[in-house]
Amino acid sequence: MESDGDMYEDSDVESAGDDFYGDGDASDGVSDADDDDFIGNDPDDSDDLCAKKNYVVLSDDDIRRLMDDDISKVFSVLSISKIEASALLRRYNWSVSKVHEEWFADESKVREAIGLKINNKIIQSPELNSVICVICFEDYSSDGILASACGHPFCVECWRGYISNSLSDGSGCLNLRCPEPSCKVAVTQDMIDLLASDVDKKKYYGFLFRSYVEQNRKIKWCPAPGCNFAVEFDIGSDNCDVMCNCSHCFCWNCTDEAHRPVNCETVRKWKEKNRAESENTNWILAYTKPCPKCKRPIEKNEGCMRMTCRDPCKYQFCWLCLNSWSTHGYNPCNKYKPETEDEKKKEMARQSIVKYTHYYERWAANEKSRRKAVEDLRRMDEVNVKELSKLQRIPETQLKFILDAWNQIVECRRVLKWTYAYGFYFPNEEQTKRRFFEYLQGQAETGLERLHHCAEKELEIYLNVEESDSKAFYDFRRKLTGLTSVTKNYFENLVRALENGLEDVDSLNAK
Amino acid sequence: MLRQASRARLFKEYKEVQREKSADPDIQLVCDDSNIFKWTALIKGPSETPYDGGVFQLAFSVPEQYPLQPPQVRFLTKIFHPNVHFKTGEICLDILKNAWSPAWTLQSVCRAIIALMAHPEADSPLNCDSGNLLRSGDIRGYQSMARMYTRLAAMPKKG
Repeated sequence: MESDGDMYEDSDVESAGDDFYGDGDASDGVSDADDDDFIGNDPDDSDDLCAKKNYVVLSDDDIRRLMDDDISKVFSVLSISKIEASALLRRYNWSVSKVHEEWFADESKVREAIGLKINNKIIQSPELNSVICVICFEDYSSDGILASACGHPFCVECWRGYISNSLSDGSGCLNLRCPEPSCKVAVTQDMIDLLASDVDKKKYYGFLFRSYVEQNRKIKWCPAPGCNFAVEFDIGSDNCDVMCNCSHCFCWNCTDEAHRPVNCETVRKWKEKNRAESENTNWILAYTKPCPKCKRPIEKNEGCMRMTCRDPCKYQFCWLCLNSWSTHGYNPCNKYKPETEDEKKKEMARQSIVKYTHYYERWAANEKSRRKAVEDLRRMDEVNVKELSKLQRIPETQLKFILDAWNQIVECRRVLKWTYAYGFYFPNEEQTKRRFFEYLQGQAETGLERLHHCAEKELEIYLNVEESDSKAFYDFRRKLTGLTSVTKNYFENLVRALENGLEDVDSLNAK
Repeated sequence: MLRQASRARLFKEYKEVQREKSADPDIQLVCDDSNIFKWTALIKGPSETPYDGGVFQLAFSVPEQYPLQPPQVRFLTKIFHPNVHFKTGEICLDILKNAWSPAWTLQSVCRAIIALMAHPEADSPLNCDSGNLLRSGDIRGYQSMARMYTRLAAMPKKG
């Protein structure tokens, strides 16, 4: 197990410089003034990559409101009842424009298709005292009889049975027709309201409500388990990444997790490959590695890649390439090095596994790191910021920069993760582009490691000390905020560049 | 409750069958003596089809939710038809599945099955051999197979 204590020590050494600053007393007043100034300069723009608003997150109430709006739009223009409007909309996937188009092209065809009565030709029950219900074959006086718009008479009990039976069959009940086999007239909401039990009515309106989201081309449910929000998307926008109010980020197009800069097809291929290769890579999934120096097994339980073995070894190394941190430093190790002469002779199959493993390991490590960062972010939000606010005597609102940093880390880990799938599928022929890509990726990794380390380790100093001076904390804040914003910009540019297929390289080559 | 309603309805159908025995000479519906939820029917193969001259026996098993749910029907007599399973006699017919309406009766189901015998749906076959013959346009092949099985299984043995 890796020991936390070692990591602190490391941080202490690094941040010793900061500590020297802060011996002069800064009164709370001064510190507050600094805060205001600082926050004022901060462009309070915590938007991440998935927040360029080409989408709206919808709650239950929003969805109901939109649904009512759409129904109103139809019934006011076509001058039909609300119930007919809702049946029409359902038929045409809740597209108001499609309803209008079809209706004005051929009203009677549309009416027939959804079973709305064409004119007032109601079947007159014969002028007798009694009518036979053709379901139960009993005689009824006319007041025990009901009919849909077509006028086919059935008794109240049989209607109830017919409706409750169709409701137990699922959402097909929304398209219920008159029980008379030759009749195509719809059984509409008003009949349900009149005849269904309360439980069934709730079911019916549940189906109706869900149909609004599920048939709508512009709306999808958030795929996160237990989440009840839906997302309405501007179809045609380039950026398909959306973030639900439950903070789940997903791609609106394929509803898999957000995956910029790679496209949906690459994600699908990559995940398929992961499933297929999982047997070969099980040993990597074991998550432990021996310390490169003392060979003790180490489990990585922290977010950043800079590892320190426990006493007395204290060897520092990079988790990914296992090289000593003293030579590695914050230099990237993302580049995939082709095999040496000897290994080139080995069979192609092994090579491809090695290559895949290289990318998979980095993909998986960043995913694990992202999950850890999500947890850390939650802990920061729920616990640490409050503690820190007490210790440093700073209002919580002014500690938002810490949460911003952690949000950025989560976001960047995800992007970085997917750059490895991007790298795996990068065409080998394009050497210049590949080198440029690996350079960009490496820089991104370096930047993110710095930010992650600062937010994780340097912050701990202020959480563990009873009273630290505000000058040092002010410097820390400036450093973290700076790193956050630099990293954010860098990753945004990276995503854009990769999505463009690194077209800058082409233009450079052309010259 | 449900059972009561379906029993009452089946009883009405029973009385109707007794009353109009000669109304449809092609269909003879019989209720099991001890169980009103079990019926059998004898239907005549429609004329101008390879089933002409045959008499086919159907078995009805009526659910308690009847008539909200359709009865289960199968051929007891072997029949070579694209929409009837050659071994089990199971029938693929929309009104016995999702197009069921509670206004259908056992009698009208028999009529629908007779109509299906005259107009096979080769595109949703339960009997693939039969379906393939029809789909490949080998009407003669289909008819002679169907006629042979009608002779073998649905006609009284001579002598």
